[in-house]
Amino acid sequence: MKLKLLFVDEFRGFYKSKVMLFLWIGLPIVALLFRFVQTGTTGQSIPFTVISALIVSSLAGTLAAVMLTVSIINEKNRHVYELFLIRPLKRRDIMLSKFLSVFTCVAIASLIAIMVGVAADFVTSGALSATVFQDTAKSLAISLSMVAVACSAGVLIGVAAPSVLVGAILVIYGGNQISVIPLVPTLLNLPQADLFTVGLAAVVTITLLLAAVGLFERKQF
Amino acid sequence: MTASPNPCVLLRGVTKDYNGFRALDDVSFEIREGEIFGYIGPNGAGKTTTLKILVGLINDFRGEVLIGGYQLPKEKLEAHKLLGYLPQNVAFQEWRTINHALTTFGKLSGLTEAEVEERIPKILELLSLADVRHKKISQLSGGMAQKVGLAQALLHNPKLLVMDEPLGGLDPLSRNQFKEIVLKLARSGTTILFSSHILSDVQDVATRIGILSRGRIKMVGSMNELKSQLYSQKIVEVLLSYVSDKWQMLGTVKNVSKIEQPSPGRVLVYIQDGADDDQVINDLVKKIAELGIRIRSISPLEPSLDEIYLNYVQKGEKA
Repeated sequence: MKLKLLFVDEFRGFYKSKVMLFLWIGLPIVALLFRFVQTGTTGQSIPFTVISALIVSSLAGTLAAVMLTVSIINEKNRHVYELFLIRPLKRRDIMLSKFLSVFTCVAIASLIAIMVGVAADFVTSGALSATVFQDTAKSLAISLSMVAVACSAGVLIGVAAPSVLVGAILVIYGGNQISVIPLVPTLLNLPQADLFTVGLAAVVTITLLLAAVGLFERKQF
Repeated sequence: MTASPNPCVLLRGVTKDYNGFRALDDVSFEIREGEIFGYIGPNGAGKTTTLKILVGLINDFRGEVLIGGYQLPKEKLEAHKLLGYLPQNVAFQEWRTINHALTTFGKLSGLTEAEVEERIPKILELLSLADVRHKKISQLSGGMAQKVGLAQALLHNPKLLVMDEPLGGLDPLSRNQFKEIVLKLARSGTTILFSSHILSDVQDVATRIGILSRGRIKMVGSMNELKSQLYSQKIVEVLLSYVSDKWQMLGTVKNVSKIEQPSPGRVLVYIQDGADDDQVINDLVKKIAELGIRIRSISPLEPSLDEIYLNYVQKGEKA
């Protein structure tokens, strides 16, 4: 109950932020521009839906992780959490609500970007094949898997890092490396690699979140 | 205002170390229900650490802490239901408006939607914040933000209100408003613990006072108890209208053990232990009239909280 309340609360805070504004509006625009540039230089066009998925995984994951890290460190150092921690709620709910709200924001932004992609492909080609939809769904699942890992890494680094500078450096380098872990099955060409990717992402995400929550539980404010 | 004999807060042998530095050393005191407890001490004495342990922000300590009978940190969730807390530097997420912050904190404290809707306007009216209800807290002045901090602490009618330096940053009008609110809350049964550097404000509202120095409790008691500890002998101060040698004759009054004139025109009369000080003052007045001495005032000499504080804190520094 308290987790739901905190989630809705955090979601309201994040979706209005400038970073989220970029994800909501900027992400489809960047993907659209990328598509035209790519068509102009190579003469061939990759389906826009696939481009959208690529953009989501590379940009949104990093942005979401940085946003989470910076937000947590700032709030920690400004003693914002004191007013939450003296209330009858579980400490873990504070961090989980942050993760869930940012992940939900990015998932919605990704869907918007993909829908714009589908619409753009429909306008330019006049028809959409079943393969495009299938590829898009796979790309979206992989993208969101990587975003989930990046977000959980963002939470862990946010809880652990002492300053915004240290946190930002760690999340930009470390967070990005960790978020690539789910791609290992695909890179190794394993059978049913997509399923493995989602499963591996779930394991890594849960592990990182457990570490973040454990650390936050022990923190003295 | 009458305090119940039941302790609402109990600290026994609380000790806290930070990387080898002892911030609190065997701190013990209790606060009874309905009491206003003023917690004073110099910077770095350990006041904030004590309050943070009490509200469950610091869980790594030795000793026993009970809030309303619930043991910390084991029964923290139950203890938190009784608690309202105003930190020294209250901070909110930048995107929150006053209304949004109070709604969230009210619900997190267990209030229903209807209760939150009913309580917010009342509390904002009480703290003169009704006009800025929908303003972002980040746009408010430090004093106004402090009032929002007080609003979130009071919103759910806590049984125990803990405030760390609540008067810092408040203008004189708001300080008076704050003191009135504190007295009103105590009358309705709320137990209040607050730390402050402004000793006159502590003296105005606190029913009992705890003095902390270098992590150790130096003294706990009511103002009268603290005064009697500081001045073991009762003293009457006589201010003469003009300098005269006749003051030495006041030493002949019954039950006067000693007289002295620390400065011209200011005479201190020491009363013997066990004597009725009102009777001695009456006898002094008669003697003064008999001697034809003109005086400006005659009154029992009572130490201010500043003197008491300095006495105990200086003792602590020397130790």
